[in-house]
Order: sequence, then structure tokens, then C-alpha cells
Amino acid sequence: MYGATVDPIEDIRTDEEKLAEFEARIARGEKIEPGDWMPDEYRRQLIRMISQHAHSEVVGMLPEGAFITRAPNLRRKLILLAKVQDEAGHGQYLYHAAETLGATREEMLEALLSGKAKYSSIFNYPTLSWADMGAIGWLVDGAAILNQTMLAKCSYGPYARAMVRICAEENFHRRQGQDIVITLALGTPEQKGMMQDSINRWWWPTLMMFGPHDTDSPNSAVLIRWGIKTKTNDELRQTFVDQTVPELLALGLTIPDPELRYDEASGHWHFGEINWDEFWNVVKGNGPCNAERMAARRQAHEDGLWVREAMAAYAEKHQS
Amino acid sequence: MTDTQWPRYMVLHQERDDRPHPHAGTVHAPDAEMALLNARDVFVRRPDCVSLWVVRADLIFTRTQEELTLHPDWLESIQPRGDTAETYYVFAKLTQKGQFSHVGEVEAENLPHALKVALQKYPDTRGLAWWVFPVKTVLKSTPDDITAMFAPAAVKDFRDQANFHALSVLRKLMRKQEAE
Amino acid sequence: MNANLKQALTDYLVAMADDELILGHRNSEWCGHAPILEEDIAFANIALDEIGHAIVWYELAADLSGEDRDTYANRVVYFRDAPDYRNTQMVELPKGDWAFTMLRQYLFDQFEMVRLEKLTQSSYASLAEAAAKIRTEEIYHLRHTRAWVRRLGLGTDESHRRMQAALNDLWPYALALFEASTRETLLIQASYIPDISILKTAWQVQVTTYLQEAALTMPTNSSHAIPPRTHHTEHLGGLLSDLQQVARLDPMAKW
Repeated sequence: MYGATVDPIEDIRTDEEKLAEFEARIARGEKIEPGDWMPDEYRRQLIRMISQHAHSEVVGMLPEGAFITRAPNLRRKLILLAKVQDEAGHGQYLYHAAETLGATREEMLEALLSGKAKYSSIFNYPTLSWADMGAIGWLVDGAAILNQTMLAKCSYGPYARAMVRICAEENFHRRQGQDIVITLALGTPEQKGMMQDSINRWWWPTLMMFGPHDTDSPNSAVLIRWGIKTKTNDELRQTFVDQTVPELLALGLTIPDPELRYDEASGHWHFGEINWDEFWNVVKGNGPCNAERMAARRQAHEDGLWVREAMAAYAEKHQS
Repeated sequence: MTDTQWPRYMVLHQERDDRPHPHAGTVHAPDAEMALLNARDVFVRRPDCVSLWVVRADLIFTRTQEELTLHPDWLESIQPRGDTAETYYVFAKLTQKGQFSHVGEVEAENLPHALKVALQKYPDTRGLAWWVFPVKTVLKSTPDDITAMFAPAAVKDFRDQANFHALSVLRKLMRKQEAE
Repeated sequence: MNANLKQALTDYLVAMADDELILGHRNSEWCGHAPILEEDIAFANIALDEIGHAIVWYELAADLSGEDRDTYANRVVYFRDAPDYRNTQMVELPKGDWAFTMLRQYLFDQFEMVRLEKLTQSSYASLAEAAAKIRTEEIYHLRHTRAWVRRLGLGTDESHRRMQAALNDLWPYALALFEASTRETLLIQASYIPDISILKTAWQVQVTTYLQEAALTMPTNSSHAIPPRTHHTEHLGGLLSDLQQVARLDPMAKW
């Protein structure tokens, strides 16, 4: 929804006709734009996914943001601040994409702050050392990029366009993360130890980021049919493992999975089973930092209320 | 107290003098001047911008190709009423993957009329979706703003992924290990 | 340039750099906690610019004193203790509320603008060049902070009250920006830097006019004298222990 509403056009087609034409458009690779007819379920799923994604960017500023003031040299400080700033930007682009579907940012933030809306569980884990800036950049952003590259091709135009912009910037995030990991892994024994500890803590939560197994993912089928997703959670997870494992091993780091081995026959890395109890527990709000993250967001929101009101009041008084 | 996130402004972003102003996204801002400043910070963190336009999102009138083809009678029903005309910008999305981009200007009496005139004036433009909005509602940066608002992004090289050599280091290490 | 002059100019550059660094650091604390998403982004840009300017000044100081410009800034930032920092007290104060942060930034931006305009005419060429570059970014900062100050001053009763409180707190610290050290006399005589105490009047007229337009009352009681740049509040120590903690884990390591 962009704005000016003048004489809404009445659609005289039957629901079956509309749905058939909608699915045909998606099959032809066309993009759905705001204003086009879409099933309510398509709109609902998109608002759910996009707003969750936006919330993840915004909450995701907190764990890394805690290290901006502590970055170990000025270059790293500029890079980390610019990266966390980009995350605010990505949240901003994504809220915009959801707004085109009729959701308002006020509603979406209310849903986040009241605990109704979800965000990526990865951000409910604590950042304990500088090495975590490397692990988050490489693993967490690396995992996110796979998902986002897929979504850049999704059937909803505004979401796809936001993703194209985000992917371009996200590569900087992953590169700076890799750069930190390499520096520490090839640094002093203490630095390498710090890096290994960080990989040990972030590896499994990163694999969980791709979501439940396809068989346990209730929304997967419809999302794939309507061209919102084009790959399943398990496919993306495997791509991530195949891509990342040899690089980490080359740095002399280890991966905290005793079952990890290269399978010549399939050409893939076999990895152990994810602890799904932990996954669901964090999703339900019982992770190590859920309460802390929400408290920080609520605090910023409440502290900012007088500011937003004052700016709106000034605009009201000084309308030209 | 209920929250306000301020009104939304559409941001149009020109990369070079000789290019049009495609759509970049929106910003929330209390007024047009703040919207222009916010647009700079949100969309010009990286270089390649010489001009920004902002316009309140609720002043933009939009129709998709689907809406227009399904209801040719709607367009028929739009007739000039002899009201005072003003100038409207016309934007269209021209490719499936593309962004809305500036097509031109039309003189019209109101928003739907502006769209009708645009479709007549640009018959060869196959828009998948259209926007029209009054020129006078747009706040624009000026050429004088380039040095202070847009040029500095070019020296912020810490955001440039080309400055990180992680990949070449990793490849070298992996080759070395294979050789061993 | 004789040794005395060289030392005085190095100290001057480091003091300017320290101001920018500490202010940028304080501003960066807002990233993720700003009143609205757009401002998380905008204010991070200001923080990035200030830290960037600090680096420019540290590098000039390194060139002048024959130090390695690639390592000098990190050495002085991460391995100096609070008593050796030469920033003005205003920039080390905790970030406070959004009114305090925005007003501090405005007062500092306007101060920098006045100083940079003169520094672009410095007879020390590399200082003049750097000042010209930094000035372009400050033009934008000032546009941003002026827009905010005006709106918050005239917005609601609450925003006005908070702005007035911030102004009352900040004013003596802002006046201290114009206290020149005795060693600066040498630099002024060599036309390297402007006489900052002379610029005070111009600055005071600008900010007074602007703040009054925003319905703020200028504090008259400036009995609270702010000590020179060699003295700091207790806040700087806390700031530095945060800033330096990772770097000091292993001073010889590359990060």
C-alpha cells in the first residue's frame, strides 16, 4: 500500500479465478506488487515472515552493539559501528516491505515489544568476547545471506527488492567477520583459544537459524508453492555446512560436532543432530538473553516516546 | 499513550546526473526536511548518489497493470472536470525484477486523471505498476547539497567489502593444506 | 618548524582528536537504542564521522612528530590513561537523554564549524587541507543537529523542559571549549591556528540566537568554572576502561 486511495476498484472475478491467475503469474516468474490481488494467506504469511525478519535485524543490533565501545582498534570500531548501523538499515528496509502489505510499523513494533512477534533465536545468545564479533559476522551473517539470497528471488516485489539491497550490504558483514576470525585464528595462542571458544558456542545456534526440519516446518509447503521460498530449511542448512566447514578447518579451528565427516558418496558434509529441545526452548522465550534483549528494546522504545511525540507536535504546529 | 512512528515518505534516489530517480524505499519522518535528512542517512551510507527526492507516501496514487487490465471501464470513467491543472510526476515499474523509476511529467486535474493522461502520453511505456503524485509535494536536495550530504560516503571505505582479503587468505590456506 | 612549535602543534592536534574520539564514542552508545530506527542510522553516521575526524587529526600529529601514522592513533587511544587525555570535559559526560545528546552535539558542531572555518586558512598546509575536508561533513552535522534542536525546543512541554535542562547543564562546559592553553599562543603567532577566545563571541551570537528561536533561555549563571583539558571528570576513566579492555588483553597482538 503506497498511499493515496481513490475509488477502489472492485474485482468481479470469483475467488477460484483469482487464485488460478495468481498462481499462474507466480509460475511465470512474475512479481506480485501491492495493489495486485493476492490470497489472504499469502499476505498473512508475508507479513509474518517480513516483520519477523525486520525484528531480527533490530534485535540483532544488541549483541554486537555491546562491543562497539570495546572494539580493539579504531578501524574495527568503525567497521563494527557501520555494520550494526547497516542492521538498523536492513530492519528499516524490511519494515517498509511489510508496510506495503498494509501492516504499520506501530503495529509491528507493538507485536515485538509485547512478545507476540518472534525474531531469530540466534540473538538470544550472549556475546562474551571480541571473538564473537567474528563468529557472528561469519557464521550468523553467512547463514543469513543464504536465506536472503533465496528471498531476493521471491515472488513479492517489495520484499525481493529489499533483499537485493540487503544482500549487497550483507557481504561486507560476512567479510569483516571472516577477517576477524582469520586474524584471531592465526594470532597468539590466547587469541586462537578465544576464537575456538566462540565457534564452540555459536556453531549449533547458527545451524538452528535455518529453522526446523522440513518435516516439522508447517509453513514450508505453502511458502514454496507461492514462490516466497524456493529452498527448504534443510537444503539451506546443508549448503551452509558444506561451504563453511572446510574453511574453518583450514584455519586450524575445530567444529564442536563429533559426528562431522565428509561423505565422499554424496559430496556433502554429514553433521550430527541438532538439539531441538534447546531450539524450541529459545523460541518459546527461555533462551539465555530473551528477557534482556526485550528489556533493552522496550527501554529504547519508551525512552524515545517523548522524542517522537515532540517531533510530531512540532510538525503539526508548523505545517505549511 | 499510543506510539507514533511518524508518517512515511517515499525516497527517490539518483545515482548520476544523467540517470532518472528510481525508488529506493521509504523513511519515517515527522516532516519533509527531516525526511530528506533521514533519506540521506538511510540510503546514502554507500556512495553513488547525487540527488534525493522525498514525497509523503500517502500522496502517491498507484495502480498496477493487473488492476488496469481487469477494469478498463475504471479508466474510461475518469474524465477531466475543468478543474485547475497542475504538474504530476509519473513513475512506473518497467520490468519484473526492477524498481519503480521516473517516466516523466503530465499536466492533470487530479491523481486518477494524471494516471490517465500518463497512459496516453506514454503509450509505449509498458508499466507493470504506476505511481503519480503532484510535483509540488516533492522536497528535493539541491546541487549545493552534494558536497556535504553525498560526497562524504565515498571516503567511508570501511564499508567496502573489497577491502577485506579474507577469501584470498582462506583459499591460500586451503590450497596449502591440499598440497600437504 | 622548531621543536617547541612542533610539540605545541602536536599537542593541539591530539587535543582536537581526543574531543572527536570521545564524542564519537559517546554517540556510538546510541546505536541500537535511539528513539526511532531512522535515528539509529543517522546518529551512527555522526559517530562514524567524528571517529573518522579523530583519526585524521591523530595521523597529522603522527606525521608531525615523526611517528608511524598506521600505528600512532591506536597507540595513543588504547594505551594512554585518563590523565593523559586532552579532550574537553563536555564530550566525556555520559550520553544522558536524547535532548542532552542532541544539544551537546549541536553546541560542539557549531564550535567546530567556527574553528574549522579558520583552520582552513592555517599556514600549516596539511592542517588547512584536512580542515577543509572535515568541514564538508560538519556542514551536514550542523544541518541535522540544528533541525533537531529547533524541533525539540518548540515541540512539546516535555521536550522543551528537557532541552532547557540540558542547556543549563551543558552551558558552562560549552564555554570551556574556548579556553586556550598558554602554549597555543605560539601557534597563534605562527598563524597555524586561530585565537579561539576571539571566536567565542561569534559562536556565542550564533548559538544564542538559534537557541532563543527554539524558545530556550540562555543560562546566565556560569559560576561553575570548568577546569582545563588536563583535568577530567570521573566519567572518562569508566569510558576508557570499556574502550581499552579488549586491546589491552594483549598489547602486542594484532586484532
